[in-house]
Amino acid sequence: MLAEMGGSIQVGLAGLGSAIGVGLVGMKASEAVGRNPGAFGKIMTIGLIGMAFAEAIVFYALFLGGH
Amino acid sequence: MRLLSQMRLIRIIVFLMVLAGLSLTGLQAQTANPVASSAPVITEAPAQPAQTAPEAKSEGLPAKAPTIFHIGPFPVTNSMLVTWIVALGIIVFAQCATRTMKDVPDGAQNFWEFLVESLHDFLAEIVGADLINKTFWFFATIFIFICFTNWFGLLPGVGTIGWGHQTAEGFELTRPWLRGGNADLNMTFAMACIFMVMWFVWALQSNGIAGFLLHIFGPKGDNQGAMKYAMIVVFFAVGLIEVMSIAFRPISLSFRLFGNIFAGENLMDAMSHLIKEPAWARAAASIIVPIPFYFMELLVGFVQAIVFMLLTAGFTSVICMHDDDPHAKGQH
Repeated sequence: MLAEMGGSIQVGLAGLGSAIGVGLVGMKASEAVGRNPGAFGKIMTIGLIGMAFAEAIVFYALFLGGH
Repeated sequence: MRLLSQMRLIRIIVFLMVLAGLSLTGLQAQTANPVASSAPVITEAPAQPAQTAPEAKSEGLPAKAPTIFHIGPFPVTNSMLVTWIVALGIIVFAQCATRTMKDVPDGAQNFWEFLVESLHDFLAEIVGADLINKTFWFFATIFIFICFTNWFGLLPGVGTIGWGHQTAEGFELTRPWLRGGNADLNMTFAMACIFMVMWFVWALQSNGIAGFLLHIFGPKGDNQGAMKYAMIVVFFAVGLIEVMSIAFRPISLSFRLFGNIFAGENLMDAMSHLIKEPAWARAAASIIVPIPFYFMELLVGFVQAIVFMLLTAGFTSVICMHDDDPHAKGQH
């Protein structure tokens, strides 16, 4: 028997995808810095920008759909 | 001494900006009655589930910015007021800083030169040298305006001073005088729409109407014989999908910025109201708990301005750059 799930599945799934995406960007960014510590500035810039894009998807689900 | 007087000037300008905003709304205090009922400001797209709670308590920020006064028949919301203040502040600051131009700049002029020059180099790499003179004004303004508007929302007093009413647990604020400018979907959507218009204008200027349509629907690469006709159909379908993606751009641009800033304001609102009992802990926690989130909002405001500018510049460069120019792409 399924336990009751409260809250919003829509936002939950979108948040899951977004969080995994941001985590992936962070993982690859730290890996890149480990391989080339001198390029930290450039990697941080592009990592931050990638995270901003990945994070934006959850806002579409939050504000564009449902209640 | 020169630097000291310029720093004092900057501080005076910022202080006058906030004062002007507050006094403007205070002037309307007699005509605008504070909200007497305890019903919270209703939103059309509330993100908080507490809106459906049995007691009508407003949890978090309303998505719709409340009106604070009217100019004739035209309602002015608190976020509109903030955008006017920020725009005025930027203009005044820039004019004051560049009144006497020096060859070796210092102070405010140095700051503006650093900002404009870094933006120019950064954007020239993205849009290319032939497009930069035509479009730099837009991207630089977008970045500066969004960044300063986001940071203005973090000043003390913005979102915490205004009209409200007394409830069982202290004063509850329902209509703050000032509110983060980009926490209002109207503002971000307006900026995104302006970008789409400019994008269209620049695309037509770069390609002409036929070139523009060909860029979207035309076959790319060279195919011979029967493959060529098949690829025309395929590329036409691809063009249709591209049109849908282009039509989605204003929505994605506006919602990305709105969501980040609105969620940030909401988060800080929630963090300041985290601890409710006892009363002394509530007062202390409302100051200490949001401090790390202020730093995060500083970063988020800056990053979102960069992202908006990058995306708009990227879209422009994609439509205006031609693949057959070997030196059109940025070289690294």
